[in-house]
Amino acid sequence: MRKTYYLFNPGRLSRKDNTLQYTAYDEQGLPGQVKYLPIMDVADLYVFGSLDANSSLYNFLGKNGVSVHFFDYYEHYTGSFMAKEYLLAGKLQVQQTQHYTSKTKRIALARKFVEGSAFNLLKNLRYYQSRGRDVAAHIDQIEGYVAALPFANAVPELMGLEGNIRQTYYSGFDRLVPTDYAFGTRTTQPPQNELNALMSFGNMLCYSACLSQIYHTQLNPTISFLHEPGTRRFSLALDLAEIFKPLLVDRLIFRVLNKREIRPNDFVQDLGRCVLKEPAKKTVVRVFEERLKETIQHRSLKRSVSYQHLIKLECYKLTKHLMQMEEYKPFKAWW
Amino acid sequence: MYVLLVYDIREKRVGKMLKLCRRYLNWIQNSVFEGEITEVKLKELLAKAHNFLDTDEDSVLIFKSRSQQWLEKQVVGQEKNKLDTFL
Repeated sequence: MRKTYYLFNPGRLSRKDNTLQYTAYDEQGLPGQVKYLPIMDVADLYVFGSLDANSSLYNFLGKNGVSVHFFDYYEHYTGSFMAKEYLLAGKLQVQQTQHYTSKTKRIALARKFVEGSAFNLLKNLRYYQSRGRDVAAHIDQIEGYVAALPFANAVPELMGLEGNIRQTYYSGFDRLVPTDYAFGTRTTQPPQNELNALMSFGNMLCYSACLSQIYHTQLNPTISFLHEPGTRRFSLALDLAEIFKPLLVDRLIFRVLNKREIRPNDFVQDLGRCVLKEPAKKTVVRVFEERLKETIQHRSLKRSVSYQHLIKLECYKLTKHLMQMEEYKPFKAWW
Repeated sequence: MYVLLVYDIREKRVGKMLKLCRRYLNWIQNSVFEGEITEVKLKELLAKAHNFLDTDEDSVLIFKSRSQQWLEKQVVGQEKNKLDTFL
């Protein structure tokens, strides 16, 4: 499998001998050791530090189907360089659009996303319940919302329910992480405390992972069902991420905090905003990467499948639904 | 498939081999590369190498293993190039 490379240090990436050459800069801004990345082994690049590059590099990356995702200083996702679409499918595109424009078809799909998401986050809560953390009240409340899902007739209504589910879920977080952290409410742009900062960072990694996988299918990443397709953003990735966030991001947060891989002093608080320090970011990305590579035994495929591949399988299921071959069933964690 | 590729090639052609291998595998030491590669990609690499190799003089050795976890690597002294996807 091709690998994802994460660029944290400032440096220069260039095309050299038909492959990638990476020169890291040191503190004085002087070029250091030169590294070659085998182009055939690069899936995508995540750029966190400042990167020097020129258009010939991007031409080269485009030809080799490598996309580059950029993140700003505050670790927000700012955009992607996507290689030219190589899997074009007009028929699917038409179907995808029709599923968006038809109210009944759209709500059916949107409901599935919320269902999948709720199932997976309940799974997290139940796990901790069995470990003696008292979240029974939260579970009951979320189950109440889930029971109301089939009666929601409009997408905003679904979004509202989804919001309620998340809010209840987050209010249980305080019991699942060490007492040094208080969650309060979910704040974004900017996140105001440690848990929120960690969550924003994790979600953003999850969005980009979903987007990368959608890119390798014939789906159009801009036409979404649960989230409103806006302009200039790949909203289908947000829909998909809904299902995988409890598995990929929330479990990661519980892990790094409970195992003390990240401590309260790994955060910087200033101007009403909380961000992760550089080494902590690396830890999170490393754990996330490990998780994506982790494999599970797939029940119907009868072989082991990585979490990353699960996202792609989800895209395939969605494609089948759109082409009216098989009804979409959202991914539900069975372990 | 995880491979270890080692070559011994006349100076005239060695640069070509180096540049070719850099595109597919990670350089770890002079004339030594390692990395994850598919069967087809390896064939492609060898086909390209055959365009300039002189098989009477040059030699390329490939050690294949099913995956990286079946390969135990021990480094004595300096590790010339650490393989890491975090840069």
